[in-house]
Amino acid sequence: MTITMEGLTKTYNPDTDFPVTAVNDVTLKVEQGEFMAVMGPSGSGKTTLLNMLGGIDRPCEGKVIIDDIELTGLTDKELISFRRDNIGFIFQDFSLLPVLTAKENVEFVMQLQGRTRDACEERAKELLDMVGLSDRSNNAPGKLSGGQQQRVAVARALAPKPKFVLADEPTASLDAQSTYGLLEIMWQLNRKEGTTFIFSTHDPRVIESAKRVIVFEDGRVAEDRRQ
Amino acid sequence: MLLKLAWKNVWRNQLRSGIMVAAMVFGLLGLILMVGFVKAMTDNMLENAIKYQTAHLQIHNPDFLVNEELGAWLPRADDTARAIRVMTGVEGVTVRHVVDGMLASAASARGVRINGIIVADEAVVTSLGNSLVEGNMLSEKGRNPILVSRRSAGKLNLRIKSKVVLTFSDLEGKMSGAAFRVCGFFNTPSSGFDEGNVYVRRADLMGYTGLAQSHEIAVRLENGNLINTFKSSMEAIAGGSGIVQDWGEIQPVLAALKGTMTISNTIIIGVFVLALGFGIINIMLMSVFERTREFGMLMAVGMTGGRVLKLVILESLMLGGVGSLVGLAASSLMIAVTGRIGLPFGRMAEGLGAFGVDAVLYPEVSLSTYLGTLAMLLVTSVLAALYPARQILKKRLSDALTEKH
Repeated sequence: MTITMEGLTKTYNPDTDFPVTAVNDVTLKVEQGEFMAVMGPSGSGKTTLLNMLGGIDRPCEGKVIIDDIELTGLTDKELISFRRDNIGFIFQDFSLLPVLTAKENVEFVMQLQGRTRDACEERAKELLDMVGLSDRSNNAPGKLSGGQQQRVAVARALAPKPKFVLADEPTASLDAQSTYGLLEIMWQLNRKEGTTFIFSTHDPRVIESAKRVIVFEDGRVAEDRRQ
Repeated sequence: MLLKLAWKNVWRNQLRSGIMVAAMVFGLLGLILMVGFVKAMTDNMLENAIKYQTAHLQIHNPDFLVNEELGAWLPRADDTARAIRVMTGVEGVTVRHVVDGMLASAASARGVRINGIIVADEAVVTSLGNSLVEGNMLSEKGRNPILVSRRSAGKLNLRIKSKVVLTFSDLEGKMSGAAFRVCGFFNTPSSGFDEGNVYVRRADLMGYTGLAQSHEIAVRLENGNLINTFKSSMEAIAGGSGIVQDWGEIQPVLAALKGTMTISNTIIIGVFVLALGFGIINIMLMSVFERTREFGMLMAVGMTGGRVLKLVILESLMLGGVGSLVGLAASSLMIAVTGRIGLPFGRMAEGLGAFGVDAVLYPEVSLSTYLGTLAMLLVTSVLAALYPARQILKKRLSDALTEKH
């Protein structure tokens, strides 16, 4: 799996007197198995970049190509299917469904794919076990700590067997202990399963653990380093 | 899972959903009681009019319908009545000799319709005997007995055995009259009817008017729904000399009332359902707006717009469905209780009497009204979800994901 970004540009309010260019002519390539952090100050365009990578937002110019598929050329309906089957999302605020249990939150995404109930249950069990929450699978998110909720979110992101996982500031709402716990899980998934992770963050702990760091400034790539 | 998610979302804010359901329940209680009351009042009015006044069908000389004169008598009335009486499905037939006149006592006088009746036949056709509240019914015994209403008795200061004088024009147009003795007081639900009618024996009245003919045949059927079938048969029997009218033609206002009752009830239910629909829209709007990020997340992980719409519709339908079912169940219980013990009107009964309505009404609501109301509420619940769902679906996904509430 290869993600290619070619001349990606995103401008908000383009037809007004105050257009804001959040991402400006970004060209990047992400290979299978990368553990990549996009860092930069608030408003530097990290989230916008991730949104375009995830097919949540469309660029004004440029292309996003994932393997042979040009994301920018897909219709809205095709984009939904593509996101559902190929991309895992982890959000800063966990974004779990509070009325469902941890297990149901993980199963729900697979049910959207049309998998059988048994298959969903089996995979959810396996994933919750993997993130160390098999004993909390029937708890509602409200009964879990922030770190545990984010681990459920990781399990949910991995449930559809995505090509890569996008995580927007995944540790922003976590304490140090939970952050290290979460990073450990993602590291293991990256090492053992070869799952590609792309983070936006300004958390130095996440940046330290990344194999590759992209420094973003004013919508442009200021630095691209491997560590 | 979508069903489970929708159901749990409905009860996520229990207070808000509870208030909506309570509003629906109390609203439906009021609505169904009103619909049941209107139906009971209309049915009662019609039933009383048929029972005490018109019977199901009447036959008159066409001229009598234009001007109720003594000379507009119905040819072969007794023969016609006999022929009708033997028809299967006819409960009773009575022949009346009718004349307009004055009822005078020592205290006062008032204009009345004097009904000369055959007592035994009248008892089968109208409920005159049941409306007797004091004294005795007309009988073949005694000289010139007369039955007056309690209301007239009060106004003319009459008591049982009081003497009254009836005056009217005879066949030649001369004033005629005779003294009668009050044998009983009747009291029907209609004050207007009571004040305008008195009953005497037909033979007595014929003697004083000098006309041995009758003016009116009243027919009561075993099944009031078969009026049209019997009407054509009776027209054939009466020939061209008599016009057969059903109760609706005799009392067109009541017929119109019956016709408009269904429409007015439907309009009332429709307005209520519409108002409730706005309530559901309001609740659903609040519910989806405070979950904008959640919907954003669902769409980001692959939920289609169609599924989002389905989820919002299911939530609205479940909320409306619970409110409707609980409300209609409570309403049917209330109607069952009030329909059994009745709704007494106390002081209002006097006023309702002017319309021929009983002092106690028994609300009744048909199954089709319940089902129709339920169907309207469910459809409205679905429609009420469309606008809130559209508000969510038209948001840009990236905006939805960053929405703060």
